[in-house]
Amino acid sequence: MKTLDVKQNILDDAGFAYNFDRMVYFNRKSRKIFSVEFVDDQPEEVLERKIREDTGGKEWKFYFNREPSELAKREIEATLG
Amino acid sequence: MAEAGRTVEDRLREEYFTLLPEICRVADQLEAEIRYLLLPISGRLHRYESLAVESRVKSCESALDKLRRHQETRDFKDRPPETYTLTSLNDLVGVRVLAFPRNWLVDIDRRLRSAFPNWTPDPVEDDGEVQAFKYHGYCAQASLRVRGEYQVVSMLTGLFWKVEHAAIYKPAARLA
Repeated sequence: MKTLDVKQNILDDAGFAYNFDRMVYFNRKSRKIFSVEFVDDQPEEVLERKIREDTGGKEWKFYFNREPSELAKREIEATLG
Repeated sequence: MAEAGRTVEDRLREEYFTLLPEICRVADQLEAEIRYLLLPISGRLHRYESLAVESRVKSCESALDKLRRHQETRDFKDRPPETYTLTSLNDLVGVRVLAFPRNWLVDIDRRLRSAFPNWTPDPVEDDGEVQAFKYHGYCAQASLRVRGEYQVVSMLTGLFWKVEHAAIYKPAARLA
């Protein structure tokens, strides 16, 4: 199985959905958002570790290669609801 | 209009139309060079074989959309407005070489690659198999700001992409 398929399975199994407009994987329950670039660039082990990471789940946690600005974060949060 | 009141999109639209003469020059230059380089092939095709060279200039709104999609946040709100520029796109100009049958592809690619040695390869692959040879770079005679891209692809794949692109990415407005 290709690496991207494996990562897709990891995200699917962890309950992540994909948003086509923002090109992010997100999970409303754990309040985590992964950018496509982050998923592409990081190895599966890192992805699994970030999925398991305890963030408290109160505020959205962004896993991007480059930390988004507060304005960009608010826009993405508004998109995801 | 005061600079502070302008959106990034408006600034980029102005940049597009400032660049447009250069974009057109790159399109003309790249298409002409590629047609010339392929004359030795097009002149000896069998009746059932075919070679086509097509060029296109990316539209203003397509260029903005592409630049937006290239941002990790898919918007222009993550950096100072002046740092966004359409000159960062690789394909403001695109030339596609379509060949049938596909066994011409390697010869065409070899000829073009030797004529554009400094261009960056970016092949289109599917399951590890090359679907199209793709390169981007500058036509120095036409512009040192606007990058062009050329693709060499089998005619069947290229025509499928054209239909798919029109139907899925840019569907025409449905008239009642």
